[in-house]
Amino acid sequence: MQILAQLIASGIAVGMIYGVIAFGYQLTFATSKTLNFGQGEALMLGSLVGLTVVTFTGYWIMLPIVLAFGLLQGAVVERLGVRQAIRTKSEAGWIMATIALGIIFKNLAENIWGRDALKFPSPLPEAPLSFMGVNVLPMEVVIVFGALGMMLLVELFNRRSIYGKAVVATANDRDAAGLMGINTSLVITFSYSLSSMTAAFAGVLVAPVTLTGASMGGALGLKAFAVAIIGGLSSGMGVVVGGLILGITETLTGYYLSTGYKDVPGLVLLLLVLSFKPSGLFGSATIKKV
Amino acid sequence: MFRNVIAAAAVSVLLAGTALAQPIKVGLSGPFTGGSASMGVSMRDGVKLAVGEINKAGGIMGRQIQLIERDDEAKNELGVQIAQELINKEQVVATLGYINTGVALASQRFYQEAEIPVLNNVATGTAISSQFKSPNYIFRTSANDAIQSAMIAAEAVKRQGFKTPAILADSTNYGQLGRQDLTSALAGMGLKPVAEEKFNIGDTDMTAQLLRAKQAGADVILTYAIGPELAQIANGMAKLGWKVPMIGSWTLSMATFIDNAGANGEGAMMPQTFIQTGNTPKRKAFIEAYQAAYKVDRIPSPVSAAQGYDSVYLLKAAIEQAKSTDGGKIRAALENLQTKVDGVVTVYDKPFSATDHEAISGNIPVFGVVKGGRVVVAHPDDIAGDKAVRVKPKS
Repeated sequence: MQILAQLIASGIAVGMIYGVIAFGYQLTFATSKTLNFGQGEALMLGSLVGLTVVTFTGYWIMLPIVLAFGLLQGAVVERLGVRQAIRTKSEAGWIMATIALGIIFKNLAENIWGRDALKFPSPLPEAPLSFMGVNVLPMEVVIVFGALGMMLLVELFNRRSIYGKAVVATANDRDAAGLMGINTSLVITFSYSLSSMTAAFAGVLVAPVTLTGASMGGALGLKAFAVAIIGGLSSGMGVVVGGLILGITETLTGYYLSTGYKDVPGLVLLLLVLSFKPSGLFGSATIKKV
Repeated sequence: MFRNVIAAAAVSVLLAGTALAQPIKVGLSGPFTGGSASMGVSMRDGVKLAVGEINKAGGIMGRQIQLIERDDEAKNELGVQIAQELINKEQVVATLGYINTGVALASQRFYQEAEIPVLNNVATGTAISSQFKSPNYIFRTSANDAIQSAMIAAEAVKRQGFKTPAILADSTNYGQLGRQDLTSALAGMGLKPVAEEKFNIGDTDMTAQLLRAKQAGADVILTYAIGPELAQIANGMAKLGWKVPMIGSWTLSMATFIDNAGANGEGAMMPQTFIQTGNTPKRKAFIEAYQAAYKVDRIPSPVSAAQGYDSVYLLKAAIEQAKSTDGGKIRAALENLQTKVDGVVTVYDKPFSATDHEAISGNIPVFGVVKGGRVVVAHPDDIAGDKAVRVKPKS
């Protein structure tokens, strides 16, 4: 029982890491039906920029700087990679462009920070906390609540503020929103900024646990993509649940089946979701008008 | 008039001199960027240190050594390209290097075909030196995985008396071949690991692997993986509040393990051919020269630096004995070296033969232990007195 609880606790921590990255996919998909395939790299850049800044400012002052960097980085991705594709209604242009930008960011990071895995100083003690025999790191608790808090804030912003309503309007019907006087291309840029900001935040949040480095984005970005598919790209709630499902299945399979097959059930689930509910567990089916 | 003649004679002598003193081109291939860069850069710097000393003392047979350095980024396909460039375009007389077993296996085929010797100075895959039949052009100056896994098993079971080892290895070739070597070494002692767990490069959570080992009653963890994931194992154990010793392959000496595991990595043990302690004058001089040349206190990977350094002197001895830079003659000289080469790892007394291309034998490495963020000698009596320099037994 205690082991099961420990596995689930670790699974939740891992799953929230996936979920918070996947949340970034969901943000841009809602407004523009495009994704930033460099989401993992946005996370990596955020955490490496954080690592450089943290030595001068300490952890808590570093956070707003990293958030600002994320906003800027997302805008750059949208302007360089996605805007052209949306304007020309290209079906695949943005896929190649965001992948290419991701590779460029990775190479850039390799040249600036090297390719070794680096230790990110933890703002909290590294000794584990024990709840009824289940050990968790203080930082894992921060990841779970930090990620939930950030997603909640973004959702609140979208639902309550006038700017957020413009985002939701664009998400619902871009053409209609445009006719109502909403600058939809600005909204799309903004959604990319918001998406990279969440990724950058996720980067500094998870780095004390995962280590950081130019290659950290690849594996995490891919896992998060699977989560976004499982949970549904149109639902913020879905990616959280999708992340938890994937994280917990991984640790449970690793323990009860074999650590060699740890990744398999998650991928099987992905295939099942794709065949029976392609819009994701929590996604609403969309009808594509042609 | 007379003066002119002397001047002309002097010029012609000089010209003849330069014609004779064409530099000897030696290739160098290793990852200088990427996850294994700390090993590649240390190896390169060790090689450059030796080349600098030799060139300063007049070179080999009056000819300077010219290193052609290439970064293979630990990628097999790049290693192959570099091998072809070094052989065909640069026409090197020999190549030193290789950190990664995969790159070595993919690349050295071209040297074998071109009959140019390779001194493999870091990669440990057991197959490297036996990929080709005699005449084999591939030599090695590092401790291979068969030696290391036998040492790890002996240290854990015989010396420290652990009875229920668990193996944690990554899913790469390095990890899985090492895991096989480890299980067969344990089987030789009548033991079966209580758990054999696997993880991927980039995995950040080791809870499942560690809990399985813990539930199986493991009293020691034997590892075959590289720095960052090894650090996750050490950190994961601290998180679960479960602490058993870690004993594993030499990669536990990587800076990425020591730095990222911090206090959790203290006490990890691994076989080392060279540890940064100046316990002989030769080693002391080498460490000081390295520190002065590259302005570091801790050599990033002392083993790679030392093996790289020694590989240059072995090549020098072979070329001098062959009195030629012909590949076949260098190979023959390496297989039957008449001079003893006094290196920093060991004294190489007939290190190779026609059938044995491994300079390092099982008695040479000693165990290192992580202490205070550095690798130090685990059992000081291993290198006490006349055991300071451990030499390969005569075959």
